[in-house]
Amino acid sequence: MTEYIIVIKEDCPTCRLIEPVLGLLIANRTVEVTCQDNPSWPDGITVTDDRALARSWALGIEIVPTLIRLEEGEEVERTEGWSRADWERITGMSLTADIPDFRPGCGSCTVEPGMGEKLAVQFGQAQLHARCLELGDDEDDIEACFDRGWSDGLPVVPPTDLRVLRMLSGTRRAPDEIVGQVPPDYATCTVEKVAINAVMAGCRPEYLPVVIAAVEAALVDEFCMHGLLATTYFSGPMVVVNGPLARAIGMNARGNALGQGNRANATIGRALQLVIRNIGGGKPGGVDRAALGNPGKYTYCFAEDETHSCWESLAVEKGYPSDASTVTLFAADGLQGIIDQKSRTPESLCRSFAAALRVVGHPKMVMAADAFLVVSPEHERVFREAGWSKSRVKEELHELLQIPGEELIAGADGIEEGLPEKLKDQTLPKFREGGLNIVRAGGSAGLFSAIIAGWGASGATGSSPVTHEIKLR
Amino acid sequence: MTITLRDPTSELSPQTREPLERPDDLEGLTVALLDISKPRGDVFLDRIEDLLAQRGAKTRRYKKPTFTRVAPVELTQQIATECDVVVEALAD
Amino acid sequence: MHDILDLDRRGIPGGFVATEEFVEAAAAQATSLGFDPRKVFVGHPIQDRTDIEMQQIAEDAFESVLALICKP
Repeated sequence: MTEYIIVIKEDCPTCRLIEPVLGLLIANRTVEVTCQDNPSWPDGITVTDDRALARSWALGIEIVPTLIRLEEGEEVERTEGWSRADWERITGMSLTADIPDFRPGCGSCTVEPGMGEKLAVQFGQAQLHARCLELGDDEDDIEACFDRGWSDGLPVVPPTDLRVLRMLSGTRRAPDEIVGQVPPDYATCTVEKVAINAVMAGCRPEYLPVVIAAVEAALVDEFCMHGLLATTYFSGPMVVVNGPLARAIGMNARGNALGQGNRANATIGRALQLVIRNIGGGKPGGVDRAALGNPGKYTYCFAEDETHSCWESLAVEKGYPSDASTVTLFAADGLQGIIDQKSRTPESLCRSFAAALRVVGHPKMVMAADAFLVVSPEHERVFREAGWSKSRVKEELHELLQIPGEELIAGADGIEEGLPEKLKDQTLPKFREGGLNIVRAGGSAGLFSAIIAGWGASGATGSSPVTHEIKLR
Repeated sequence: MTITLRDPTSELSPQTREPLERPDDLEGLTVALLDISKPRGDVFLDRIEDLLAQRGAKTRRYKKPTFTRVAPVELTQQIATECDVVVEALAD
Repeated sequence: MHDILDLDRRGIPGGFVATEEFVEAAAAQATSLGFDPRKVFVGHPIQDRTDIEMQQIAEDAFESVLALICKP
């Protein structure tokens, strides 16, 4: 019965170094020598061919050489690398050879980059729980995803076991951990299901914690994801990412931050939409009854620019420490541009902003939609140079957006839309308390800022923005 | 080699790609009758067309250039634009 | 069958009519396409049928043909 297993690879100087030791052991003990890369090496020794790595995988080999001692066929101890003292102790033999007493080993072939997941799939240890779909021989894998209704209209990355396993390496959370119940079907969503949709969206594994956090935030009751999905209004979920993780994964907070071209921005927002579509069951023509929708429903995700800003970040405003990484979900429409290339004073620039914010939803609509004001670095400079904090800006805007009721009532200005007549003598704020959020983003060239308007139902009657910390484990 | 994918959905629906739901009735709809151009198929479709007309259904006739190939894309585009449902006949 | 799949993708429900000779071929094709459309099988052969016989085959199959395009 085999007493010892030794796993080696020729492409390892330490394994080559201990060739004489192997000879000694084979002569005196019952040894199985397993080689990961060359079944004809070493010369004169019968070797198990493990180029397929099945044996190394099953034995959990991480370093070569590894010496394993067996009793009754079961492993009782092992040592990695070459240490004469350890090898002599384990084998009970004197291993005299003209070689150094100690050399560290090399990485096993099984732990080369990407090999872990590949071998897990190959040797049936994938441990994924989602239903498998075998495609017909004549099915194109990308078309198959379209055919099954998994796509948002753009091609998705087919979620093979290997891709899903690699995606799951981006989180330390267990694949079967439940993230929540996704509306409108209120179907159970696990970390694994998020990973599958993240694969389809085109995410890298390091984005997965952000996607999971975005799903968790979207499922918080105050965000009202079900209502947001089912509305005839334009809005869909937008994700703003704060904190060090945004930079670490290469998100864009600068030029074209709200546009195309950055993989993290594009795929994180898309993954959230795919989760809602595929797990929640929310699709246009179904529960999604948007009359027009907006392009942000493909993906709407960016990072706030926190470098060199004089303002506290959105996450800090929401009560998180500046070194926390967070996602903030907002029920968002598209984009309304504000051009102001002349204002040099904060007062004037706020007046520009207020005039543009006035028309969110409708000039006569008040206390309905929230909004995000995305201030570009060039505009923020105006406030910074005048020493205006973010809350100062918000106060100023709040004052400027106090609107006389007589402008708002139905019939005013020849517009039948509007508030009831009885509000004629009141003054009403455009936004509910806390309804206006300000973040900084954008390129350094451009005296432009932007308004991202919110769903017409905000606060208790609809959606409130939700901020959630990104968990890496 | 068979490609296997992992299901991204809630798995509340069956795994196979189901054909589209049929309408409840043919009221106001146009039925495409697509002849694959094998002999006798036209006689079959003529009778089906009559029977559909007796039921008050509107029909339009189409013919593939040859049964040996899939329908040209212009034909399927035309059918999709002009009709609501389709019967293709007669393969033997 | 490819045509029915193509039209299904374009939002046009329906199905096809074939003779019994096609039962196995249709099943195999459905497997390789990953799509099993609605279908009606009629008796084989048809090449040598008279017009009257063809019309009878159509009448006998009509209710099944109707089920290809609307719910029973």
